Amino acid sequence: MGGAERSARKKRQAAVAGRPVTPPPSPAPAPAPAPTRPAGNRKKIVIGAVVVVLLAAAVVGGIIYTNAKKNATEGQTIAVSRVDAGYPAVRQGAIVTVGQDSADTIIDVFEDFLCPACRSFEETYGKQIHEQLAEGTVRVRYHMLPMLDDRSDPAGYSMDSANAALCAADAGQFPDFHQSLFDAQPAEGARGWDNQQLVQLGTNVGVTSPEFRSCVESGEYDDAVAAHFAEVREMSFLQQEVDGQRGFGTPTIAVGDTVVNTGDENWLKKLVD
Amino acid sequence: MRALDGVGTVVRLGLAAVWLVSGAIKVADLNQAYVAVLAYDVLPASVVGVVAAGVPFLEVALGALLLVGLGTRVVAAVSVVVLVAFVAAVAQAWARGLTIDCGCFGGGGQVSAAETNYPWEIARDVGFLALAGWLVARPRTLLSLDGWLTGASVDTQGRT
Repeated sequence: MGGAERSARKKRQAAVAGRPVTPPPSPAPAPAPAPTRPAGNRKKIVIGAVVVVLLAAAVVGGIIYTNAKKNATEGQTIAVSRVDAGYPAVRQGAIVTVGQDSADTIIDVFEDFLCPACRSFEETYGKQIHEQLAEGTVRVRYHMLPMLDDRSDPAGYSMDSANAALCAADAGQFPDFHQSLFDAQPAEGARGWDNQQLVQLGTNVGVTSPEFRSCVESGEYDDAVAAHFAEVREMSFLQQEVDGQRGFGTPTIAVGDTVVNTGDENWLKKLVD
Repeated sequence: MRALDGVGTVVRLGLAAVWLVSGAIKVADLNQAYVAVLAYDVLPASVVGVVAAGVPFLEVALGALLLVGLGTRVVAAVSVVVLVAFVAAVAQAWARGLTIDCGCFGGGGQVSAAETNYPWEIARDVGFLALAGWLVARPRTLLSLDGWLTGASVDTQGRT
C-alpha cells in the first residue's frame, strides 16, 4: 500500500475525530510549498533589483574613475627637457631641418608625438643623433605626422603637437620643444596636452616671440601637416613590411630613398663612417 | 537534480572566471581599452570613451556576482546581452574587412591582416554564450548566495 493512501486515510480519521490534522512524517513532495513560494519570489525580485543596481553602479563608477584617470595630463605642466642644441633648426613647410648646412648626410625622421615606438626610438637613439648633429656630420629632417590623430581622447593631439612643434621651430626653440614632448608623452587613449599647455611649454623652453601663441592656438600649420602626411604615406619607398602587411608607419627613418633598419643598433655609426 | 546543480556550479564559476579575467586585464590598461573600442569604428567619438570606460567594470562586476552566485539568472541574462553585442561588433568588423584584434582579453586595436582571428574570436564568444545561456535557463547552482538568501532547500531554490 502506498504512503499517500495511508496518510489520506489517517487524515480522514483525524477529521472524523475532530483532532487537528498533523502532516504525514514527510514522505517525498516538499512540505506545503504554497505559503513559502510568494516569499521566495519576493526575495528573488529584491535580489534581482539589487544586482541590477550593483551592475549600474559598477558601470557609472567605472566611467567616473576612468575619466579621472585618463585626464592625468589636465592641470599639469609639460616638463622641460634640454638638448643644448648648438645647431640651427629651420622650418620649411611641414618639415624642420636640424643641423649644420655643411653636413653631407641627411636623415629623414618620420614620427608622431603620440606614438610609443617613436618615443622609444628617441630614447634609444636621440642622444647619438644629437651628438652627430653637434659634430656636424649629419642633418636631420623631422617630419611630425598626425598618424595617431584619433588615438587621444579627445582626438587631435598628434596634429596639435605637430603644429606646435613647427611653431616652436619658427620661434627658434625646436630641439628642446621636440625633446620635451617625447619625454612627456601622454598615453594613447588618454587626454593629450592641450594647446594651452603646448604654449606654456614653448614659453618654458624660451620662446619669446608673440606670434607663437596664435600660431599654436590657430593651428597655423594643420593644413600643411595634413597635406604632407597624405603625400608621405603614399611614397612607395617608405612602405615597409610590418607583420606581413605593407604600409607606412611611424617611426620610419630614411636616408635618401632608402629606409634605414634601426633594429641594427649601429645604424647611425655605419651611416657616418 | 543534484548532478545538474553540480554542472551549473561549474558553468557559473567558469563564466565568472572569464569575466573577471577579461575585465581585470581591461581595467589594468584602460587607455588600451579605448584604443580597442575605437578600432571597431562603429561608435561616435563621444560614445567610444563611455563604452571603453564602462565595459571593463561591467565585466568585473558580472564576474564578481557570478563568483558569489548572487542574482545568477539576472547576471547571466546581462551576460548574454553583452556577449551578443561583442559577437555583433566582431562580426561587423570582419564583414567590413577591418583588420583589428577584438581586444577581448586586453590588447585590441589595429593589427595586420594576417593577425586577425575573427572565426576563433566569435567561436569563443559563442562558447561563453552557451555558459550564460545555461544559467539563464537553469540558474540553480550549489554554493551560491542565491540559495543561501532565499533560504530554500536545494530542492526548491531557483525553480520558477
